Amino acid sequence: MLARTLIMRAINLVILLLIVLFVISFVLSGPASKILEQEIQQEARAIAVNILRSGHANATQVQAIYNTIVNQLSKAYGLDKPPYIRAFYIMYSMLTFNWGYSYFPQEYGVATGRVVDIIMSAFPGTILLDTFGILLSALIGIEVGLRSALKYGSKLDRGIMYYAAISNGIPQWWLGIVMLLVFAFYLSSIHSPIVFPTGGILSPKYYAVWLIDPVKVFLNPHAVLDLLWHLALPLITVLIINVGGWAYFARSIVLNISQEDFVTFAKIKGLPENQVVNRYILRPAAPAVLTNVFITIPFVIFGGFLITEIVFQWWGLGYVYNIAVVQSPTPDLPVVVALTYASTLLYIIIVFIMEIVYIMLDPRLRER
Amino acid sequence: MARREEFRILGMTPREIVSQFFSSSVGKVAAAFFIIMIVMSIYALIALPPNFGSLWTNVNYWRLNPKNAPPAWVNVFTGNIYAPQLYIRNYIFGSSFNEGTEYITASFSVNYDYRVPWQEFFIILNSPLVYTEQPPVVTVRITRPDGKVITIGPLPLNRQVMALGSTPQAFGQVSQFYLDNFGLSNVIPIGSSATPYIFYTVINNSLTPLKGTYHFDLFIYVFGANSSNAVSKNNLYFVLQGNVYGIMGTDFEGRDLWLGLIAGFPIDLAVGLMSAAIVVSIAILIGITGSFIGGLTDELLTRVMDFVILLPAFPLLIVLSVLFGWSIWDAVVFLALISWGASARVIRAMVLQIKNAQYLESAIIAGADRWWILRNHVLPQIIPFALYLLVTNVPGAILTLSAINFLGLAGSQLPTWGNILYYADLFGALTSGYWWWVIPPGLLIAFVAVVFILTAIALEPVVNPRLRYG
Repeated sequence: MLARTLIMRAINLVILLLIVLFVISFVLSGPASKILEQEIQQEARAIAVNILRSGHANATQVQAIYNTIVNQLSKAYGLDKPPYIRAFYIMYSMLTFNWGYSYFPQEYGVATGRVVDIIMSAFPGTILLDTFGILLSALIGIEVGLRSALKYGSKLDRGIMYYAAISNGIPQWWLGIVMLLVFAFYLSSIHSPIVFPTGGILSPKYYAVWLIDPVKVFLNPHAVLDLLWHLALPLITVLIINVGGWAYFARSIVLNISQEDFVTFAKIKGLPENQVVNRYILRPAAPAVLTNVFITIPFVIFGGFLITEIVFQWWGLGYVYNIAVVQSPTPDLPVVVALTYASTLLYIIIVFIMEIVYIMLDPRLRER
Repeated sequence: MARREEFRILGMTPREIVSQFFSSSVGKVAAAFFIIMIVMSIYALIALPPNFGSLWTNVNYWRLNPKNAPPAWVNVFTGNIYAPQLYIRNYIFGSSFNEGTEYITASFSVNYDYRVPWQEFFIILNSPLVYTEQPPVVTVRITRPDGKVITIGPLPLNRQVMALGSTPQAFGQVSQFYLDNFGLSNVIPIGSSATPYIFYTVINNSLTPLKGTYHFDLFIYVFGANSSNAVSKNNLYFVLQGNVYGIMGTDFEGRDLWLGLIAGFPIDLAVGLMSAAIVVSIAILIGITGSFIGGLTDELLTRVMDFVILLPAFPLLIVLSVLFGWSIWDAVVFLALISWGASARVIRAMVLQIKNAQYLESAIIAGADRWWILRNHVLPQIIPFALYLLVTNVPGAILTLSAINFLGLAGSQLPTWGNILYYADLFGALTSGYWWWVIPPGLLIAFVAVVFILTAIALEPVVNPRLRYG
């Protein structure tokens, strides 16, 4: 039964995923085609120049060869087809990680300049900060929320509610800027012995290793310490902003449940307070809280986290976005387009996994 | 006596709703903040010129202001270190006419009691004369508290705004002054303004600020017979450029951040409300249509809902803003168009719940048709809830668009708070510690978002009867 539900949901989500990717491909097919066209022309020109150098053909012949190559390649990539067909081709090349080359590879410090390599080198950073940040803040937040709900109406409860409201309204990236200003800039300007880095995921000497093989960094204890030192400020920022939201959420769920009839009945029955709390409030609240933690993750990652990475120059997807959009002389289209794909893909995959977890955790869905 | 039909929303009279809203401290705080926000928006609309958006990006408009200057009130905490911005419109004006030349004198005194002197002395002359072949000529004589006199000029007044200290004459004459009086050469670094050095003296071979009253005398000669009254007290004034400025300081182009921050209020409010209004309208339309018609339509609309929920709003917003060079309003509409999914889901669930209620069964048995049910049972419950949804949708939109603006996308022409932060990040506010450029815009974004979040929290008992009187 469970397996069937899971499979149905999986099929459903895969279809949805393909539709989402197709729509995005369609919207981006204009610029994506332009990128492809330029790449084809470049390739054809390289071949033509080679033929011309070898001296076996004259200029008009080479021009003809160039035209044939461009035409054939365009045909092969579907550039002569209408946009909706083209969107399929683009979708295919995106799904097969055929993402082309960056216009400004030197901006990223990834030697090959291939978009795949750039984005893959940014993935570990995003995963590291986000998983750490979200799981830790959820853990703390839920604990705080439960305690606050059980003391409903107390000063602590009200304080936590205000904190949750305010932290939900503060832009996470702005808090990051303030943290940098205080703990990196002002601490160093008063010559404090402890100063946090002004950004980056690692000290420059480890960067080359991280971009190629992050696993090697984790094997070197010095590098790990360095990583943690760089992680401190972004992680604290993430915690300050996100704990409140989780606390408020857990609190409202527990409050809702504690007003159910069976809780009232348990209290009337005269059961001891902590038994009521443990058995009649916390246990039914657990799946709802947990699943919501999972469901919210993709929304959180692709909201504030991208910009937080930019502020801390944290080598993740957000920072690569920043380089491609803001720091390059002109927008680095191949990277921007591929990043959107990559993050959409990642987003949908996370949602997918979360929904599966949701189904497995919620007994009502399981039984159906 | 006829029984009065009582008007109720979600089972509460308007008076009950208001008292429920204000019964919690959150409600009171939210209401107070809301009023502040509205007042600031109205003030911004009245106080700022309607073309403020284009003034904001016009570098010339701000050139008299110091760059990257902290707010003027830092002097209170630092013991009057920085000389503030000074506009001198009130001076002694004299003019006489002789043989086709007009002689104008302008004199005033300033009291210098700071440790960091003024950066520049501007002479502003709003007269068509300054662009003629034979512009007026000015000589500036400054009598210092120590009795020494610095004379700069004669200089042609051939610009509307002349920065006196940056002219080669001022550089040469102030340098010469230090050489003659103190035997020091090369006092002024090449490329910097000579103005601050007017306010220094030399003690033990080092430059020390000379506090006291400085007397400025300007002698202006206007040539040509037809030029009488071309320079009057109305079109001539002076500015001493300070090191601190206004209530909120300035940014890298000397823009008054206070004005920029004020201007952000109506923009941010409009952005949030517009986006939320579109989201809620679509959500109501889709939510009610789907659940009310049911069957295949419902199935289809639910799929569309799932699809919209799956769209990653933020990356899409970035990429499309880059590709199409969107303005902030384009981004607002787009954001609304891809973020109605969750709200529609809530509305659909609510309508389903209402539809399956027992009282509706009786209504249907009694012969009520669909429209009657929609009008009398569904809408009266959905519309107030939609207002609550509107409030909850505002902060997200404001935060997302501020984030997009922080990337320098979607409407970099307007002085939004996200945009101010973008420039702060770009021009090294962080590495130079310009806190006045970084802290206030973020606080204001948070302020507006928090106002709406608090309002939503205070409204929750109204929407969720379980929490009432709890």
